[in-house]
Amino acid sequence: MMHLLRAELRKVTTTKVLFFLVLAVIAFTALNVFLLVYLTPSAMGQVDSGQLLMNSEYIGNIIGAAGSSSIFVLILGIVGMTGEYRHMTITSTLLVTPRRSRILLAKGGLYIALGAVIGAIAFATAYVLALATLAGKQHAPIDGTIAAQIFGGVVLGFAIYAFVGVAVGALIRNQVAAVVGALIWVLVLEALLTVFVDWIGKWLPGGALDAVLQATNVSGRGGTEILSVWAGAAVLIGYAVLFGALASATTMRRDIT
Amino acid sequence: MRTPGAKDTSLLYVATPLWIKSDPVHRDSYPLVMSPIGQTLAVDHLSKRFGKVDAVRDLTFTVAPGRVTGFLGPNGSGKTTTLRCILGLVAPSAGTAHVAGVAYRDLERPGHVVGAALEASGFHPGRTARNHLLVIGDALGMPRGRADDVLELVGLSDAARRKAGGFSLGMRQRLSLAAALMGDPGVLILDEPANGLDPEGIAWLRGFLRGLALEGRTVLVSSHVLSEVQQTVDDVVIISRGQLVESGPLASLAGTGAMRVRVRTPNREALVTALAGVGDANTSLELISSDELIVTGLDSATVGHAAHGAGVELHELTQPVNDLESLFLELTATGNPGGAA
Repeated sequence: MMHLLRAELRKVTTTKVLFFLVLAVIAFTALNVFLLVYLTPSAMGQVDSGQLLMNSEYIGNIIGAAGSSSIFVLILGIVGMTGEYRHMTITSTLLVTPRRSRILLAKGGLYIALGAVIGAIAFATAYVLALATLAGKQHAPIDGTIAAQIFGGVVLGFAIYAFVGVAVGALIRNQVAAVVGALIWVLVLEALLTVFVDWIGKWLPGGALDAVLQATNVSGRGGTEILSVWAGAAVLIGYAVLFGALASATTMRRDIT
Repeated sequence: MRTPGAKDTSLLYVATPLWIKSDPVHRDSYPLVMSPIGQTLAVDHLSKRFGKVDAVRDLTFTVAPGRVTGFLGPNGSGKTTTLRCILGLVAPSAGTAHVAGVAYRDLERPGHVVGAALEASGFHPGRTARNHLLVIGDALGMPRGRADDVLELVGLSDAARRKAGGFSLGMRQRLSLAAALMGDPGVLILDEPANGLDPEGIAWLRGFLRGLALEGRTVLVSSHVLSEVQQTVDDVVIISRGQLVESGPLASLAGTGAMRVRVRTPNREALVTALAGVGDANTSLELISSDELIVTGLDSATVGHAAHGAGVELHELTQPVNDLESLFLELTATGNPGGAA
């Protein structure tokens, strides 16, 4: 298995996908930090735009911007798996490792690690930019405990989310279909479902991710109910395992022609 | 077509087989690798249906170590499907395909037993040739140097750090071959490896494959053109529309065609009479013109002897080398090609 993990690591480090997605994570996190520090306080119509910054929960939210770029981690997993079919590298992969479930395990394992690292990068981006942009402003102190919770949430959440991406990619082998499908689900369908069927939201993948990331959004999800961190993690892992098992039983058994 | 800026690697091709200079086995460098003694491939009553299409039908043949076996058939005759069944990429509808007595996926270290080059397109276009091989090497647990060694072996060293997306078809073929050699396998399965190679490349490939077989490896090479592999292969397996047509040593295939002798003589009637005395039921004469005929079923010595005995003057007596290509076309001609590639 170590050999397979090393091969998977080399696959992802010898193309540009990872580089650009990490760049996107950093850029998107930075954008959110800037919005929260500069734009939101004035948009809230606070006479003294610094007043919001005196709220320690709000300061927590600024660092919690680290969790905002989760979608890129999902895409990383999807592209990593579907790329094998798109470029037909699945053939040489399976020639060395004919047992297909092992490929899924190795890729899933590596992407969990990648997701965790990207989570740490996102946290570092948010934390450093928060320090930089808040410097010279009047603001509530950064709560070390909250920061640590945010760090843990982002690392754990991104790790599992990358794994979900790999499993989705295994299930939907067409790269474009898988990426577009995932975007539509995350950005449109899940939000709609949550609005119309109240109780279902927290059990959906996005809701479960929010539960894991909940420390990143200290003020909550506007009243929407979410699970505890660990229950959320369990539900999210459940989705990854479910998709992976479905893929193993269906698409991954297909002939490679 | 080579992409602009691509170095003309054909200058690097060495007509003499590279294996003489550089032993692809590298037995000394990789002592941990399983000794690459060729294994027997056995396809047993193999059938594969894709929807309504019978790509392979009840196919049975074996491929022996230490020989180069040509796997021949027209496009769409089921060659690739059969190879993919052997390699566990396609699940047979019926029958089995075994390497050393077991299914591919049950091999202990499949990448060290079998090396396969299936199509020239299985590369990530943004990954360099060397990195492509390093990925395979990682999964196989091979040392880093192996990638550079096989790149040199196939004449791609100069393109090692270029992206595979910019490779010509010939370069892709070489990279596929390099990938197949990564695990130093005893069995090589190559699907149309000569496609896209220039004449020097084909000559090089011939020597290379012969060298691998001489080392005791099993080499199975598919092609849709017999003449392409005629000088390389010891054995042939010929299929058409998914079914076996012929299998065995190439030499015996050459024997399956009837002998033909072409004779020119000013005294045709006398020769016909003389030949009637030596021929048998399988002998036939074809009158081409007033002084020319083709004798089928007798060799030139017999015809010459009969003519000499009857005192018939001959102007020409030739026995053309059996045209294997026409024989191949004859064997595989079955109207519209059916089945999948």
